[in-house]
Amino acid sequence: MAEFSLPQNSKVRKGEHHPAPAGAKKPRTFRIYRWSPDDNRNPRLDTFELDVSNCPMVLDALLKIKNEVDATLTLRRSCREGICGSCAMNINGVNTLACTTGLDECKGDISIYPLPHMPVVKDLVPDLTHFYAQHAAVRPWLRTESAAPDRERLQSPADRKKLDGLYECILCACCSTSCPSYWWNGDRYLGPAILLQAYRWIVDSRDEDTGTRLDELEDPFKLYRCHTIMNCTRTCPKGLNPALAIAEIKKLILERRG
Amino acid sequence: MSDLRNPLQRARGLGSAKDGVQHWWRQRVTAAALLVLGIWFVLLVLSLLHGGYAAAHAALAHPLNAALMIAFLIALFWHMQLGVQVVIEDYVHTRWVELTLQILVRFFAVLAALLAIIAVLRIALGG
Amino acid sequence: MDSYKIQQHKFDVVVVGAGGSGLRATFGLAEKGLSTACISKVFPTRSHTVAAQGGIASALGNMGEDDWRFHFYDTIKGSDWLADQDAVEYMCREAIPAVIELEHYGVPFSRTEDGKIYQRPFGGMTTHYGKGTAQRTCAAADRTGHAMLHTLYQQALKHQAQFFVEYFALDLVFDSEGACRGVLAWDLNEGALHLFRGHAVVLATGGYGRTYFSCTSAHTCTGDGGGMVLRAGLPLQDMEFVQFHPTGVYGAGCLITEGVRGEGGYLTNGKGERFMERYAPSAKDLASRDVVSRAMTIEIREGRGIGEHKDHMHLNLMHLGSEVIRERLPGIAETARIFAGVDVSKDPIPVLPTAHYNMGGIPTNFHGEVVQRKGDDNDAVVPGLFAIGEAACVSVHGANRLGSNSLLDLVVFGRAAANRCAELIRPHTPHPDLPASVLDTALARFDGLRHAKGSTPTAKLRLDMQRTMQRDAAVFRTGQTLREGCANIDKVYAGFGDVQVSDRSLVWNSDLVETLELANLLGQAVATMHSAEQRTESRGAHAREDFPDRDDANWQKHTLSWVNDAGETRFDYRPVHMYTMSKDVDVVPPKKRVY
Repeated sequence: MAEFSLPQNSKVRKGEHHPAPAGAKKPRTFRIYRWSPDDNRNPRLDTFELDVSNCPMVLDALLKIKNEVDATLTLRRSCREGICGSCAMNINGVNTLACTTGLDECKGDISIYPLPHMPVVKDLVPDLTHFYAQHAAVRPWLRTESAAPDRERLQSPADRKKLDGLYECILCACCSTSCPSYWWNGDRYLGPAILLQAYRWIVDSRDEDTGTRLDELEDPFKLYRCHTIMNCTRTCPKGLNPALAIAEIKKLILERRG
Repeated sequence: MSDLRNPLQRARGLGSAKDGVQHWWRQRVTAAALLVLGIWFVLLVLSLLHGGYAAAHAALAHPLNAALMIAFLIALFWHMQLGVQVVIEDYVHTRWVELTLQILVRFFAVLAALLAIIAVLRIALGG
Repeated sequence: MDSYKIQQHKFDVVVVGAGGSGLRATFGLAEKGLSTACISKVFPTRSHTVAAQGGIASALGNMGEDDWRFHFYDTIKGSDWLADQDAVEYMCREAIPAVIELEHYGVPFSRTEDGKIYQRPFGGMTTHYGKGTAQRTCAAADRTGHAMLHTLYQQALKHQAQFFVEYFALDLVFDSEGACRGVLAWDLNEGALHLFRGHAVVLATGGYGRTYFSCTSAHTCTGDGGGMVLRAGLPLQDMEFVQFHPTGVYGAGCLITEGVRGEGGYLTNGKGERFMERYAPSAKDLASRDVVSRAMTIEIREGRGIGEHKDHMHLNLMHLGSEVIRERLPGIAETARIFAGVDVSKDPIPVLPTAHYNMGGIPTNFHGEVVQRKGDDNDAVVPGLFAIGEAACVSVHGANRLGSNSLLDLVVFGRAAANRCAELIRPHTPHPDLPASVLDTALARFDGLRHAKGSTPTAKLRLDMQRTMQRDAAVFRTGQTLREGCANIDKVYAGFGDVQVSDRSLVWNSDLVETLELANLLGQAVATMHSAEQRTESRGAHAREDFPDRDDANWQKHTLSWVNDAGETRFDYRPVHMYTMSKDVDVVPPKKRVY
């Protein structure tokens, strides 16, 4: 069966409590998932009370904790402007980027977990190996057979417009890890992020392998595990619409059958 | 995920079945049919609410109603089978259990549909 | 010391870094049949190339007359005559096939009505040697870096390049003859150490922007290649030249592309004046970045800033209309909304010059081979070692890089390094044995930092360094502030001996990663501050108030700086290449630089 409850060794226990420093101007409480591969213990939920006066974003607060309270707190981060996709995590129940989520958008105490239903490497760092492999598996590059022209391949602005809302994907995995279908069948279902990437090439007017791409996707599990739950579109921190891309793929597959 | 296989090998799995659109399309067509036939069915039931057995029997014996009822039953059981199939695929990951359930659901759907259709036919053909 | 089991890998070439240049080199090498490992501390599409916005320069002439010679001239003028002109010729000439190649790889460039690549004006880009405005910057809306990086990663997948993702490079490995033979790296996910042997190591590790407190650079821009090179006893070049981008979001520091001004946006001061008209009468807001950043700093200093503290400027694009913003600048609309709370169609964006790019780096020739000065030879190649991208100093950017020349630098020299390796290395050449002791120093350093029991946390030292650099190596510099800066940064450097690491684990020990990164940053911060103190002239991004003029007689030369383990600096100089590769273009002799 699909796993509906956490296995014994993943049940979360109560963790350490770090009280707010004296004279904190703007204290907020953070509950953060911690797990280390080194000590054979179950994950725990640490509580940090933090003065967030200089922290506009959730990422700022996490880094403040790391810098000033507990240097062992582990997370991925890089660009801090929402374009690299490193700091994807589950904040107050929503998969999003810590760097573009303002603390003022978060109500009450702030709970932070790694992306759901992924193996955890440490603390907030999930193992995305399979996600990346699925991306590679759709062969996401321009596939052509005709000889390349001396100059650029021409593309009309209208055709180029079809890539808007697709090429901007940052592979943060927020959408795929918010999808129940991906939770239960992530080993076989490609998930919204990868299907959006696949569709980005299907609609690229320069690509000459559309038929093969559709062939490779037409599969009860790779594609049709999408049950239009729409969590992907709701959660995408870049405002993209993977659900629509998946619907378009289904439409094209139907269309070519006449 | 602790096996030693290459991640790409695992991601590719058994490749594409090059199938699935038919299932997806049938589910939608049967759903559309059920929507229309369902309205008809509700109206029929409402009209027979106070009519008693004889009136219901007579209504169902009418060729148009009998045909629609049979169509409704086919769409209903077909749609049910398609839907339950997906639920099982989604949640049951022990292969032999899954396969057994899939076969049972299909048998059940076909059998139930046949029984229901024969019942309608008996009434319609004056048995 | 703990004993570490080290797994050894043998490749023809090892590329360190998977940003634009690293990826271009990686699949270029794979294409040539060389077995290649690409090791990166982040997944490739997380590299900082992803944040480049405006575009990539190439004289395609899609939007009006253009010629790569104009581009050549602009780049040299932009560099304030510190760029090596042979390398600039190579880059500007190769720019045209390079961008066509990118398009063939599938980069989703914006398009003109007739389906060609869309090009926008950018700072310092002119036609006819300064007379007209060139539309030279090929753009994918304002997400060109993102579009390019993802495409390059896709090409690497296509060529089945071998990645080692989330491996942190610790130190370079040299043989007794001084040839680079590999690199020691730490696998964060498994916690194991790996020795990657290669006949060549290509450093594509990016800039060291995080030496500054406020920078457009990602947290991961810690110049790890430069740090390794310094520890190997090799010099870095032109480290005093740090570009401040005129338009970083006030407070957050996030980049707002120069493309905004290319599309018609302009800067205003507290009085609502378009002050750039006074500083650069002809190019105005599209003068080169050092010029605009200085103008903004002067305006703020003279009390014409904006806001409660009169400490920033406004970037206006309300007049462009929502159509242009949606089509050409959607990303900055998003950034401005999130980080400045501004709706760009209604209000200006508060901006401030922000540390952005390191012109300096590991000295190389235009093949990407690392060079040093050896006796009379100013261009002696360090065997087996390459550097490309922002990590390198070719030097094509000289004292100031022009916007949209960076993405170009990445692909042109990424490809050049791959080609050069293919010329020098036969596939699957066996590796000579190295003495067992070759890793001793690197391992001792790693283990020492892992168990560092000092009293100053990494974060505290890092903040001290960043504050020092921000204060004393800023847009304007004087002998006084630089001397203070040198003393301060030396103190921070010495303070590293007392660093405290709290996490002793090996799997994803990000505390240790940040400490190793800080070590890399510190060496380069010291090199930057001291090189700046040495250079008693103003050139490009290095503006000395006590020496306001360029001094070609004494200072038209590259600074080489060494920093030893004790933090002591040593300097030497290399001449600027005042010659071209071919007869197709003439050397541009130095003249006064006005925009």
